[in-house]
Amino acid sequence: MNDGSISPDDPVLLAATGLIKSLGGNRVVDGIDLTCRSGEVLGLLGPNGAGKTTTLRMCYGFLRPDAGQIRIAGYDLGRDGDRARRALGVCTQDNTYDGDFTVRGNLVQTGRYYRPRQADLLQRIDALIERFGLAPFANQKPETLSGGFKRRLMIARAVVHQPRVVFLDEPTTGLDPQARVAVWELIHGLRAEGLAVVLTTHYMDEAARLSDRLQVLQAGRVRAAGVPGAVLGDVVGEHVVLLGLQGPQTPQVIGWFKHRGVKPAQVLSHWHIPLDAPGLAAFVAAFPDLEYEVRPPTLDDLFLALAHETT
Amino acid sequence: MNPYSAAIAWQSRAILGRHLRVHLRNWYTVTLPPVCEPLIMLLAFGVGLGRQIGTLDWEGLSLDYLHYLAPGMLAYTAFMSSFFQSLFAAYIRMHFQKSWEGQLTTQVRLEHVVWGEALWAATLATAYAVLVCVVLAGFGLANMLTLHWVWMPVAIPLLFLAALAFSAVGLYFTAILPSIDHMTLPFFLVIMPIGFASSTYFPIPDIPFLSTAVQFNPLHQLAEGLRALLLMGKVTGHLVSAAGLCGLLLVALIPLDMRLLRKRVFGDR
Repeated sequence: MNDGSISPDDPVLLAATGLIKSLGGNRVVDGIDLTCRSGEVLGLLGPNGAGKTTTLRMCYGFLRPDAGQIRIAGYDLGRDGDRARRALGVCTQDNTYDGDFTVRGNLVQTGRYYRPRQADLLQRIDALIERFGLAPFANQKPETLSGGFKRRLMIARAVVHQPRVVFLDEPTTGLDPQARVAVWELIHGLRAEGLAVVLTTHYMDEAARLSDRLQVLQAGRVRAAGVPGAVLGDVVGEHVVLLGLQGPQTPQVIGWFKHRGVKPAQVLSHWHIPLDAPGLAAFVAAFPDLEYEVRPPTLDDLFLALAHETT
Repeated sequence: MNPYSAAIAWQSRAILGRHLRVHLRNWYTVTLPPVCEPLIMLLAFGVGLGRQIGTLDWEGLSLDYLHYLAPGMLAYTAFMSSFFQSLFAAYIRMHFQKSWEGQLTTQVRLEHVVWGEALWAATLATAYAVLVCVVLAGFGLANMLTLHWVWMPVAIPLLFLAALAFSAVGLYFTAILPSIDHMTLPFFLVIMPIGFASSTYFPIPDIPFLSTAVQFNPLHQLAEGLRALLLMGKVTGHLVSAAGLCGLLLVALIPLDMRLLRKRVFGDR
């Protein structure tokens, strides 16, 4: 998690209100609001099908919302689409670079898709190639790069025209730990430049490390929002009890929890049971001789809790 | 966004420029087929088969087959090259390379991508037709072919318009075909019937139904119009009909292409 140095005075660069979208007859996004300020990283979390990518796709103009308004750097995406799109950059979930061009050619070509043209485009591209560690591969086709460098190229493409808001859709999925850390550093750098960064991820450590604020989506709605610690408290509670699956008293304990409306989640050889402070006190009193582990909740617990609610 | 005004937007030109840049990088390999194909066709069919055929009666003129074939080949090149680009090449860019998705995350919108593809298909097809003109000129220099060369510049914009219309047909199939395995269907059901019933390579037989039906075939009108233009130096109603039919195709199909491709690319209405 970062130092949370975002000020309310920092300009809001992304403001989306009341977003609604149905696809194939299903309401995928159902009244989502998003804001992101200059120099802020907003993490969008949620299980598969929660509406993260659809929300992102509406925000960068790929999909038209059925209802709601999106403003990018003050420009209404619906009414002033060209200016709004000029102010945003996108790194899609799939690698959508142009396979017919080299790494450098990709950046040059992407720069041609924006007006007004980026001043000193070629110098900016040289600087990006250096900064993103792409110099050894500048004249190679992207398909020759490793997964990590392909993602670097995707992020470099997203910022070649100096946008003010950048959307990163699962930027590190499929990368090894070293490559993930390298991408994290790039994202930190974008925030330091004052960009508003909106990212989706399935990696809980990534969301916790990178995001100033989290917005947890579930079934197309915002389930919880705030700084990572507060979001965990809202959804999961203050504590998580880990109870061995094979313990002699386990069936009785699980039955006790279910009777009290608590929903334990089974993960490999343990039950994970989210509890607030009074709940933990009641549990301790009810089973004084039981062996178990108590720890603070993590974002993994959040995902488990959401998945459990959905099923 | 108006589906027609997007044709002249800078974004459409940016897409056209992208295709041009990629194509010109391999100019030596991509130029060979459009030069060799008409050369081989004119030698094999125009000269070789033409000797077996003797002369043909066309509009009161007695022609050898090479002279009949030459204008038809120009029309067929515009038709075939444009269709191929807007069907196969565009499908590959859309579906496999995902380069459309990359473009659509910028200031480029789907309307621009569609026009960029259509303009590119038409530009390439027209360039190939110009190469056919060069080959024809070679036959002219060898005293094997006599055409009204002065009318050739008039033919070029018409070929471009026709190629643009045919590209709209190709993009329609790009939008609706479920997979690349289905590409043979438009070839058998659309390309071959249009190509054969078009007076490009041989005269249409005098069958009442067929004679009426081919009047609605823009390729037939184009081939017959170019033949009159280049063999007799006459601007006939065929050229006007070709331009009209191509214009109608564009007006009708471009908005439909955009609607279908929007659904295909975005999964949206």
